[in-house]
Amino acid sequence: MSWLARAYDAFRGIDPPERVIAALDGPLHPNTELDDAPVLLEEPGIATLCATPEGLFASAGHRLLKLVPEGEELKAEEIATLPAPITFLASDGAGALAIGQDGAGVVIRGGVHDSRTHASLRCPTAGLFLDPDTLIVANGSAEHTAGDWQHDLMRQGRSGSVWYIALSGDPVQLADGLKYPSGLALAGSGRVYVSEAWAHRVIALEASRPSTPEEVLGELPAYPGNILAAADGYWLALFAPRNPLIEFVIEERRYCERMIETVPPEYWIAPQLSSGESFLEPIQGGARKKLNTLKPWSPSWSYGLALHCDDRFRPQASVHSRADGQVHGVTSCAEQGGRILIAATGSGRIVALPRNADIGIGVAP
Amino acid sequence: MLQQDSLTRLRYKYLPDHLAGEILSKRWADNAIPFLVLVIVLIAVGPLLPNFYTLASLSDLGRQMAEFGLVVLALAIVMLSGGIDLSVGSMFAMAALGALLGMNVWELPVFVVLAGVLVMGAFFGFVNGFLVGYLRLRAFLTTLVTLIILRSIYVIVFLDYSTALVTGFADSAIWDFLAFGTLYGFPFTLLVSGLIAVVWHIVLSRMRPGWRLTAVGGARRSAYNAGIDVRRTVCQAYVWSGILCALAGFLYAARLGSAGADTGVGLEVSALTAAVLGGNSLGGGRGSVAKAIIGALLVMIITNSLISFGVPGSITSTVLGIFLIAAVFVDMRWVRNRDEILSKTYVSPTYLKLPDPPRTTDPGSPYRLNDKLRTVEIIGLGQIEGPEDVILDRYDNLYSGTRHGDIVRFFGPDFERHEVFAHIGGHPLGMAFDANDNLLVCIGGMGLYQVAPDKTVTKLTDETNRRWTSVVDDSRLRLADDLDIAPDGRIFFSEATVRYEQEDWATDALESRGNGRIICYDPNSQTTRTVLPNLVFANGITTMYDGQSLLFAESWTCSISRYWFDGPKKGQVEPVLANLPGYPDNINRASDGNYWAALLGMRTPALDLAMTMPDFRRRMARRVAPDFWLYPNINTGCVIKFNDKGEILETLWDLGGQNHPMITSMREHKGWLYLGGVSNNRIGRYRIEGADPNWVGPVSYWGERA
Repeated sequence: MSWLARAYDAFRGIDPPERVIAALDGPLHPNTELDDAPVLLEEPGIATLCATPEGLFASAGHRLLKLVPEGEELKAEEIATLPAPITFLASDGAGALAIGQDGAGVVIRGGVHDSRTHASLRCPTAGLFLDPDTLIVANGSAEHTAGDWQHDLMRQGRSGSVWYIALSGDPVQLADGLKYPSGLALAGSGRVYVSEAWAHRVIALEASRPSTPEEVLGELPAYPGNILAAADGYWLALFAPRNPLIEFVIEERRYCERMIETVPPEYWIAPQLSSGESFLEPIQGGARKKLNTLKPWSPSWSYGLALHCDDRFRPQASVHSRADGQVHGVTSCAEQGGRILIAATGSGRIVALPRNADIGIGVAP
Repeated sequence: MLQQDSLTRLRYKYLPDHLAGEILSKRWADNAIPFLVLVIVLIAVGPLLPNFYTLASLSDLGRQMAEFGLVVLALAIVMLSGGIDLSVGSMFAMAALGALLGMNVWELPVFVVLAGVLVMGAFFGFVNGFLVGYLRLRAFLTTLVTLIILRSIYVIVFLDYSTALVTGFADSAIWDFLAFGTLYGFPFTLLVSGLIAVVWHIVLSRMRPGWRLTAVGGARRSAYNAGIDVRRTVCQAYVWSGILCALAGFLYAARLGSAGADTGVGLEVSALTAAVLGGNSLGGGRGSVAKAIIGALLVMIITNSLISFGVPGSITSTVLGIFLIAAVFVDMRWVRNRDEILSKTYVSPTYLKLPDPPRTTDPGSPYRLNDKLRTVEIIGLGQIEGPEDVILDRYDNLYSGTRHGDIVRFFGPDFERHEVFAHIGGHPLGMAFDANDNLLVCIGGMGLYQVAPDKTVTKLTDETNRRWTSVVDDSRLRLADDLDIAPDGRIFFSEATVRYEQEDWATDALESRGNGRIICYDPNSQTTRTVLPNLVFANGITTMYDGQSLLFAESWTCSISRYWFDGPKKGQVEPVLANLPGYPDNINRASDGNYWAALLGMRTPALDLAMTMPDFRRRMARRVAPDFWLYPNINTGCVIKFNDKGEILETLWDLGGQNHPMITSMREHKGWLYLGGVSNNRIGRYRIEGADPNWVGPVSYWGERA
């Protein structure tokens, strides 16, 4: 009977619950913290920040970068070029880096497992060392690579999985049928937090055996990505905003499929890491410039947003770069020297937030 | 896919589904449901009652209808004014009694009796009206009291005269003719009532007293604020109700020649049922004569049929009561949801297939990207809002409209000072100078206006001929957009759409139907005629250098065409430019014999695809809030120069719209190009390399002034 109820709702014009977008309110109240924060580095495509005892690593496309301080700012030093675009970096804290290779699996660099490769996961989006011999990896989709994440979203992919990989043994699947798992963090008591992008939520899984996902944070107004376990809780990077028109297009299968077939992805009605660069991009009514001003509350395909949560993943505060901002497409965060560094891949820059900054509503006194 | 596309195309070409919304937006659309019910009842009684459609039956029904219809009309008028009159039955009875007394007992002439009865009705009505209108008592209670009092008087008088009434006899041919006479086969009384109905229809729908009545019923406070004498209007409604009821009672007396103790008992319930069944709103402000007639017919037929079936009178009342409840329910739901239904059905997109847009990134493309317009000189920054069009006169002064309804003049040559040249209202859009230096302006929401050099404002026209096939009133000018003048003084102007107001232009883009047109105003005969209908957002217009033709832009089809208004090819239309990369707006002359056109926004692949899927756009209009609708990308500025052969000669861009997103017009003057934008807050000035530094628009049209 549920299809009957849905058909009636569609007739009455009531959106199904998963298409309803929560307002940016409470701890998610918009601000301009990301635009106000100092820019440490400008590098097109900068992503996958990873702080290790050996220093700060990041990537831009195929290039593995080490970020070294230069005065107040950072300087990128290229240390390797990999065969496939880098999708994540994870450190075991003892000299080894796990590197996600889009379409080509995971490769270990350094440590006792140097050069070990797990090529079976074609869309590795996040990785996490439990110990130097055990890695947890999120595979966003079984059908698309990470570079084609918009395809997976617009086709409502639900083929993502999370894997427990003992580096000397066979991988164990912790969960599958996930809607693009895209971030991992240790939760304590033997569990991991996983952000499930197309389900707009964060779930918790057992770290070492298959289990049923438990939702810890839902109804997010943007698509969640990487999670940073920081000293004072968690920082969740939300890489693109949700939009009522996108939700509508996802329901309109015929239009959506034709768009996927005939239009280049950067001109889709779909979330983007950055937008407003070409006049071939669609725009929405509220995004019209009036009196030569783009209103900050305009609907836009890209946005900058990172959410600070406490140790039980309850939202505390958030930092934003709004429709008219210049720090869009936040894909990862890192903690270094008492500061939170935020990598905005869409805008190609890293900005720094002082920890415990007075950011927006909801900061504990 | 191709096959499906052509099916979609044919379906949207031949099924005019925009008419559904237009019909629903009409006031008479309210009648649809009652009328349908009436038709069904009329069809149903035929087989059920074999004698129904006989002459005798119909004639009798007609006479009853004459009286009952008048009572329902009386009640409908009061309901329209926002009140209710329960005393119609008692007044009807009193009038019948008075008529019989006058004719049978006192043996007065018929016309004296008629006059007396009408005066009596007017008096009773006035009592109601005074109490409800001036003393502002509750209509329901007041008329309930009048009902009881009049009924008591009736009973007392009737008992005193009952014998005299029966024994008396009216010896009058006119009296008998009222009872039995026919004219052209119709009962005479029915014709009289019909005539009264027609008069009331005209009063209510076409004349000031009727509109005031409706206004008072619809929104009492607003009517008061608009200067209507609310109390008097309400009082008048009751007076007219009394008069009409009295006339009905008079006709009743003539037909039956007698009265009984129960004459007019329960008539108010039947009349109320009829009025509400017909669709007259109990809340006031919504009702018509047609609704009253439909309702009266329904109730008459239903009661007569029930009587023919042998149903007892008490059950008939119950049935009527059930009908009343049902009608009130439907009325309430309809009033509450009508606007919602309308807003969901009015937007009606159609199929529009554009060829793949030209690739602006190719090095050989005439649309090569550049940033020439990014560094223009700025005029009037923050001093004007919404300069859709700009124009310069012979003396280097710059004029532009604003969204506040002003025409602002910047004094040349430095444009530092400015003044409000004229305040007209609306949103002044396209402008042109005529041979006598009058500034002619198209004003969105108003029409075509002229501002003389001494600043006097004259309305030239605000309506054109209405087409017979139009459902929405297309005689009024909703969105006069751009204009130009032929050498003989005729003014050709475009109207972008007949279905939307200016602020809803983007909804017309969503539809992309041929809702626009080109209209010609002839100042010699002062006539306005539509010359080219069914254009897709007719926009810029400019008279070509040959003096026999004009160029016009159709925005949503991304094309510019040429129309000959004179010469050997008079009346013909030829395409000049098709498949532009954006949506063309105003067109103007360039000094080198070519033409400038502004592109108000750029095409995007996602929108081009949506244009071939009208049902997708319709659902989007229903399901998604307008701020999230897909729009043309109007955050980019673009101006093109082209010649009459349709070759693009130059393209100027402001990519990203740093200074000039959505350029809607440009005007060349002495080597500079002046840029306007309908939602911008500045005018731009771009130095054109190699342009004639002495070229002035008005001189190009009308020559040097002596």
